[in-house]
Amino acid sequence: MSTIALIARNDLKRQFVQPLAWGLLALVGALFAWQFLVAVDAFLRAMPKLAALASAPGVTDLVAMPLLRNASALLLIAVPLVTMQSLVGERRAQTLPLLLAADVGSLRIVLGKFLGAYGVIALIVAIAVAMPLSLAVGTSLDIPRILVAAIGMLLFAATLTAIGIACSAWTAHPALAAVATLVIGSVLVMLDVGARLRDVDHALINWLAMSSHLEPFLRGVLDTSAVVYFLVVSMFALLLAARRLDTLRTRG
Amino acid sequence: MDDARFALQLEHVSRRLSGRTIVEAIDLVLPRGRVLGLLGVNGAGKSTTLRMIAGLLAPTTGAVRVDGVDLKARDGHARRAIGYLPEEPPLYGELTVDEYLRFCARLHGIAGTAVAAAVERAIARCELGEVRRRLCGLLSKGFRQRVGIAQAIVHEPALVVLDEPAAGLDPVQALRLRDLVASLREAHAVVLSTHVLSDVTACCDEVVILHRGRVRHSGPLAALERDAWLVVRTGRAVAATDWAALPIVAEARPIDALCWRLRLHEGAEAGALAAAIGERGYGLSELRAEHGALEGLFVTIAAEDVAAGKAA
Repeated sequence: MSTIALIARNDLKRQFVQPLAWGLLALVGALFAWQFLVAVDAFLRAMPKLAALASAPGVTDLVAMPLLRNASALLLIAVPLVTMQSLVGERRAQTLPLLLAADVGSLRIVLGKFLGAYGVIALIVAIAVAMPLSLAVGTSLDIPRILVAAIGMLLFAATLTAIGIACSAWTAHPALAAVATLVIGSVLVMLDVGARLRDVDHALINWLAMSSHLEPFLRGVLDTSAVVYFLVVSMFALLLAARRLDTLRTRG
Repeated sequence: MDDARFALQLEHVSRRLSGRTIVEAIDLVLPRGRVLGLLGVNGAGKSTTLRMIAGLLAPTTGAVRVDGVDLKARDGHARRAIGYLPEEPPLYGELTVDEYLRFCARLHGIAGTAVAAAVERAIARCELGEVRRRLCGLLSKGFRQRVGIAQAIVHEPALVVLDEPAAGLDPVQALRLRDLVASLREAHAVVLSTHVLSDVTACCDEVVILHRGRVRHSGPLAALERDAWLVVRTGRAVAATDWAALPIVAEARPIDALCWRLRLHEGAEAGALAAAIGERGYGLSELRAEHGALEGLFVTIAAEDVAAGKAA
């Protein structure tokens, strides 16, 4: 087993020994379930009217996609709660020397930490995606479109997680790491919204905004430039975190 | 100038932090099978030195070689040759002792099939059998330190670095830990940082005293003890001239009429002194090494600041 997988598995295991991960999954699951049932109920009540329309939106448009869009907003809060303990938690518990003294490079430690946190986050995305998919038992769904949206959600979640790991590496307290992740994530998500409200349509702002890259996936478009965006931002954040560990090694 | 005979070599190692010299020009070597005690008052530079030895902090100048390999070379062998116990054992409270040691073994590069055997060995050596299924976070201080040592030796490193392992332990736990540390020399070279002088005399072969970031004393502990004075109590009063008449006695100083401090010539044994006293009918009632050769040296070095302060 590679050290990246070893650190990731250890972190995942430790997260599920603590109540936070279980509590978060239960809370998020309950919230998604409530939203899902409300959306299904609204869809069932609207069905007679929809039947009269020539090209009426289906259950994918009216139930699945809104649920996934709401789930992406919820990730902004869930990710900081999962990542806040990552590296700063190790420093505060004085367990970081164990990793730094071993023959493990800084980037490998950071990747292990990232995957450990991402395991929990990916479960949240899986819960969100599983609910609309369960409708496939009784109705016809646009499965490819939901799967593309799921890929977008996973990329979006990975980027937020990487930002969370970087914040956890550069701050001295878990609460600070959580707030920094929430602020940076929110700014990146709402950047283009703010700009549009002020009638600014700037290419760079649009490119920086995470929501503009998630949106094509939620419409069922597998946008390769958006994939590149998510990968670039994630790698940049993880390299920043690794840089911090390198600094700790050389400067103490 | 790699020399694989030594588990550890420090060559003119210095470390500056924020423009201040923390450790300056330290040279030392430690062969396998030896325990080195690193002594110093708070702020002497012990922890900085240990962190450089453990590869957690890069020296500003100089080289740290472990098992003959410079740590700067980022050679995996050198890193795997170190086992490090920081002042606070790096335990994951959510894992059991077994799970934690398995993680540490894999982290230090032990292959999957050998992990179980390595963990069993470490648990046996550190006497952790009774707590192996308990969560690390629920262990007593003494067991936490033992688990800390177990993680440092689980991958059988050439060099074990222990930073104040006995800090905060009760006397019984401290004695058990002392025995454990002393037993490590069978398979490893050990660097032990401590405030407790009796730990050094009980466990160590070599002693280095750091003060203000510089090495003020370095050498075998036996040499210090050899130079120590003996305390002799006799049944009847003995004069200074009587002691001078004994060829093995180099110097004699009275404590009271029946009790003397004696220093023997190099190579002379305390047994020979006891025999000579018996032959002359002085009536030997007590013969012991005067405690505090190390303590005296340590206090003398530490007191230099006070003396310098008064002089100023």
